[in-house]
Amino acid sequence: MARLLLRRLAGLVFVLFSITFITFLVGHLAPGDPIRVLLGSRQDQSLYDRLRHLYGLDLPWPQQYLNYVSGLLHGNFGYSFRYEGRAVSDLLLSGVPVSLGLGLVALLFSIGIGVPLGVISALRQNTWFDRGTLLATLTLYSIPSFVLIPILRAANFFAYSHKWPSLPVAGWGDLTQWILPVLVLSAATVGYIARLTRFSMLEVLQEDYIRTAFSIGLRARTVYGVYAFRNALLPLLTVIGPSVAFLVTGTFVIENLFSIPGIGYLSVQAIGQRDYPVIQGTTVILAVAVVLMNFVTDLAYMLADPRVRIES
Amino acid sequence: MAIHPLGKNQSKTVVPVSVRTAVNADHAGTIAALPETRGFWPDLWRRYRQNRLALFGLFVLLALVIIALIGPLLYNIDPTTISPSYNLNAFPSAANWLGTDNTGRDTLARLIYGLRVSLLVAVFVETINITVGATLGLLAGYFGGMVDFVISRLADMLFAFPGLLLAILVSAVFGKAAEDQFGSVGRLLIVTGALSLVGWPLMARYVRGQTLTLRERDYVLAARSLGADSRRILLRHILPNLAGLIVVSSTLDIANVVIAEAVLSLLGLGIQPPDSSLGIMITQATPFISVNWTQVFFPSAVLTLIVLSVSFIGDGLRDALDPQSRSH
Repeated sequence: MARLLLRRLAGLVFVLFSITFITFLVGHLAPGDPIRVLLGSRQDQSLYDRLRHLYGLDLPWPQQYLNYVSGLLHGNFGYSFRYEGRAVSDLLLSGVPVSLGLGLVALLFSIGIGVPLGVISALRQNTWFDRGTLLATLTLYSIPSFVLIPILRAANFFAYSHKWPSLPVAGWGDLTQWILPVLVLSAATVGYIARLTRFSMLEVLQEDYIRTAFSIGLRARTVYGVYAFRNALLPLLTVIGPSVAFLVTGTFVIENLFSIPGIGYLSVQAIGQRDYPVIQGTTVILAVAVVLMNFVTDLAYMLADPRVRIES
Repeated sequence: MAIHPLGKNQSKTVVPVSVRTAVNADHAGTIAALPETRGFWPDLWRRYRQNRLALFGLFVLLALVIIALIGPLLYNIDPTTISPSYNLNAFPSAANWLGTDNTGRDTLARLIYGLRVSLLVAVFVETINITVGATLGLLAGYFGGMVDFVISRLADMLFAFPGLLLAILVSAVFGKAAEDQFGSVGRLLIVTGALSLVGWPLMARYVRGQTLTLRERDYVLAARSLGADSRRILLRHILPNLAGLIVVSSTLDIANVVIAEAVLSLLGLGIQPPDSSLGIMITQATPFISVNWTQVFFPSAVLTLIVLSVSFIGDGLRDALDPQSRSH
């Protein structure tokens, strides 16, 4: 157990190194001289040298990388090129709660809808409900968010033009403005989680201990609820990682199409302004969030499944 | 007829038709129960076409490729020219077969251009994934040791980034400079490079895993004991057996690449307006969906057709290439 834990920790360190190193490298290789951009029309050699020194750009690159990482560890993501002297961490801080909130609600929503859907569909295997769910979840899983948005917008407009209750299609702040983004963001993960739950549940239902439980006369509710469901949930822990990764890419599209001031929106704004430190910062934040999430679910899996502990 | 381990027959282990051919030739007429013999390609095609969806996918994709290739010759309207009559958000008509977009540009012309972009990026990305990813995976799996360590860690480093994050970062930082240097082609190059960067590690991982099991096979041992060098074993004995895996996984991956390209475009990282791409067309038309839904529908439909057809083709190829699942 301890050895496995150590291996996982070493893996985590390697992944964190990879993320920061590649992000640093991309920023380091970025075309154009950031100091010249910063100076704008006031091109002055002594000022240039001072700023270059201030930003640490006159150091050899391994030193720059170390500074970058130690900065990150202290919550210092560097300074924006565009908003003079403004810390990237300030900009990120304004976006993180928004994206985190949106992502968490979408994840909980996906689990809350996906798991029951998968369980019911496994218990009614090969009925119309099961087939319908399979088709619906496959559709949800394969339809890209940017195609789903126009469909929902058209439906929303239809409701609006018939004076039925309708939802705002952009903006942030009001609770009703959460509904459409959460629906779009979680569509694919609902499909993904529902399908995997169904698969996992069907697998468990074929186990010997389920047959035994039935044969000693336990009620179906006990068998499904206690023996089948709990065991079927275990593999689902591993699903959370890919789901979060999926949500992260979705964040970029959805925040921009719905004008939600989160990390993805901030990043695309920064892309337009070629504000590399901000782009680097959002990349690191999002990647690290996913990696830590994976690490935690890994640990949870080890704690929840005695077989993993024993085999190691 | 004896089958030499280094002979031509052995390299065709993907589909051991040659064995059947040999038996048939020797005992012509005596073993009537054996099915008639075919070469590799006819055999593959025979099994592939039994899958209706796969056949449908192939025809749809072929049609799309033909449209992308010769479409502009038949439908001679410029995709970036604004209609002189300010015909905005128009429905399909004789003048504009699929209508016009919100600035009055012809939708069919833009659709053909966007289709070209999608297919071109997909082909380039898969070519790079196959050449870089499969080669590195093959070397890592076969030689193991230090080679494996370096290649696998390199792939792991790129795997550390979830989803499209790395592709977004790379195309965000290098896209503009590439465009300044090479125009639209530069943008395409960056998008292709960024998507390959996140694509090849997966291919390398698949191929490495398969190579690990293949190199332990008896026929590899036989070849080695007969004095074959690594190059020969890799190219004649292992690579042919990987072909199925490589072809199937890269076909299925085209769906991801096409969607990823659309995502990059709509984030402003791909092809730039006024040029068109399916992603740009969908986002541009979305605010006007209540005025003219067809302008969202057409690019979405083309995107869906590409994604579905390559998925069907990939599944069909997998079934047709996999000797285990073969029932004939």
